[in-house]
Amino acid sequence: MNKNLLGVIDATTTFHRLEQLLGHRCLAALPFGGRYRLVDFIMSSMVNSGIKSVAVFPKVNYRSLMDHLGSGKNWDLNRKRDGLFLFPPTLFDKLQGQENNYFNHLASYIDFFYRSRQEYALLANCFTVSIIDFKKVLEKHIQSNCDITQIVRKDGTPLKMYVLKTSLLVSLVESRKITGYRNIDDVISDIGSPYDICTYEYEGRAEMIDSIQSYYYVSMELLKPETWLNFFPENRPIYTKIMDEAPTRYGKRNNVKNSMIANGCQIDGTVENSIIFRGVKIAEGAVVKNSIIMQRGNIEKGCYLDSVILDKDTKIKRGAILKGSERHPQVIGKGMVVLQGAVMRV
Amino acid sequence: MAKKKRCVAMLLAGGQGSRLNTLTKNIAKPAVPFGGKYRIIDFVLSNCTNSGIDTVGVLTQYQPLDLNSYIGIGSAWDLDRKDGGVTVLPPYSDSADVKWYRGTASAIYQNLNYISRYDPEYVLVLSGDHIYKMNYEKMLEYHKDKNADVTISAIEVPWEEASRFGILNTAEDMKIVEFEEKPAQPKNNLASMGIYIFNWHILKECLEKDAKNPSSTHDFGKDIIPSLIKEGKNTFAYPFRGYWKDVGTVQSLWEANMDLLDENSQLDLFDDSWRIYSVNPNQPPHYISDQAKIVTSLINEGCLVSGDIEKSVLFQGVTVEEGAIVKEAVVMPNAVIEKNVYLERVIVPPNMIIPEGTVLAQKDNNKEVILVTEKMLEELYSH
Repeated sequence: MNKNLLGVIDATTTFHRLEQLLGHRCLAALPFGGRYRLVDFIMSSMVNSGIKSVAVFPKVNYRSLMDHLGSGKNWDLNRKRDGLFLFPPTLFDKLQGQENNYFNHLASYIDFFYRSRQEYALLANCFTVSIIDFKKVLEKHIQSNCDITQIVRKDGTPLKMYVLKTSLLVSLVESRKITGYRNIDDVISDIGSPYDICTYEYEGRAEMIDSIQSYYYVSMELLKPETWLNFFPENRPIYTKIMDEAPTRYGKRNNVKNSMIANGCQIDGTVENSIIFRGVKIAEGAVVKNSIIMQRGNIEKGCYLDSVILDKDTKIKRGAILKGSERHPQVIGKGMVVLQGAVMRV
Repeated sequence: MAKKKRCVAMLLAGGQGSRLNTLTKNIAKPAVPFGGKYRIIDFVLSNCTNSGIDTVGVLTQYQPLDLNSYIGIGSAWDLDRKDGGVTVLPPYSDSADVKWYRGTASAIYQNLNYISRYDPEYVLVLSGDHIYKMNYEKMLEYHKDKNADVTISAIEVPWEEASRFGILNTAEDMKIVEFEEKPAQPKNNLASMGIYIFNWHILKECLEKDAKNPSSTHDFGKDIIPSLIKEGKNTFAYPFRGYWKDVGTVQSLWEANMDLLDENSQLDLFDDSWRIYSVNPNQPPHYISDQAKIVTSLINEGCLVSGDIEKSVLFQGVTVEEGAIVKEAVVMPNAVIEKNVYLERVIVPPNMIIPEGTVLAQKDNNKEVILVTEKMLEELYSH
């Protein structure tokens, strides 16, 4: 056994308040920050903390997640020993008959945990944007001699990430029918549980994405240089799937202010306070303000967009106007075409 | 014996590129940054993979460390293959002596055993210092249709520039009757692009013969091709239309970068069907601040821009601070342009910091652009 961490990512979570963006994908695969998907932050934090074995447990709509993660190569997790493991739900899991029972899901793969060489496990979620150094969390956990260490934000908010011995995780999963625990949260919130729970306070920035509002808010926060530098420090890169896009091309008459723009875009219009993903086209005379435009969005001449979230592959036709508000940004679904005054599915 | 391949590519990447000045002080010319996110060699390697050629020998010699680590096992170009893939071929020693590559032909001669492993029908010889997109598969079809022994890719150049190139004088059917290296009085304007397809047995034969010739300089352009034509071998020119540029000088490197800014450029980096691949540095999207103004430019990931950028190419991780003006400039990876700097018609090499208030401009359009050097900055700030 070695004092290393096994990374376990719960990609089964979904939030009703985000469903407009989760029609085609699971939460872990939600595009975020101009070129990433949410899972990139936890995956990269794990890899940057020296974690060499990462297991991802998706539940529904995980095609885009599988495609994104691939062999794990982009996170340097395509290894002969350890590396990336994907564990979709099994029939066994289904036969247990209980929805939202993460321990059932883990139980279908209990052999994996038995075989793991890592003495400790990190149970993490896929919807927290942060760059936590888990090495420090493990050190604190070992020092404190607690059974379970829970990571919390400076303001005390639990981040739903836990460090415990892999052997304890295995026994929690195996005894789930006796204890009634469905997941680690149940263990933490059970005041009668026999386990010592400690907390680790994370000093840095950590934001949870659980609604359209929080998705929009955290995205816009990235436009503040201090937030940008906090999430993207030079020595802890966020890895993601490589797309080989050309650098972004700015035309003769564009006007871009306070925006984050990924590669492969062609910008000829006005862009203010916005996040532009890879391969977006914004035509001359179009105005995009306070908005998030996902991959390959195409915004034609004379459009006016304010406080809008465009999912992937949307087309906004000439002269269309879309307005949301800070509290209720307007969401246009994947692949939609917006004409002047009409939203159409093609 | 490795699996038989129809065509093996041999990529000459050992050149020093001394006319690129300090840019090639520590790296080989094919590793020089180009086009906001690429290195020169990306174009040829991407052409290979896009043309379905999966076996590429890369011949390195001059300052190979950076180039070797950049190529790695070729995964960026999808050339990490079970059979074939990319193989870096440095000079080596055998029981007799150490064999430096003395010319382009000598480099390939010394690696005939690499080619033999794949027992190919054709060998494609490429050079790692040109910017272009080309489907080698089409050239190979042409080579077969013409029943050629050797096919040389050629491009029409302006007549007034023809004397700078190796010129192919051809018959009507494109058969080459004469090859003239940099002729004073060119008879044709069809220039060799340094891209050759050989029938393997012909290449082997002529390289073995050339190696024994003490008066040869062991160069494809100077020795091999002229002697094959003289021997009456079937040598054909393959007419190529499209963008092609030798970026061997500071000026031409700058020009080729500026060509990318032209909306109607023949070199389309946004073409989905012919992607140019490169090693990805994993940087976040770039950030354009409230103070920035950007006109007709290419900007890569990881840049933080607060200044005025006009007709410029910014590579990954470049910082341009407030009040700085960057015009017709090529700013290479991770350079920092501090406040109130003025740059016009310059190339800023990787990692360079241009101190606050510096003015570096080539106002005379007839003069060469400025390649900023450490020495230049030291002289500016020694007082």
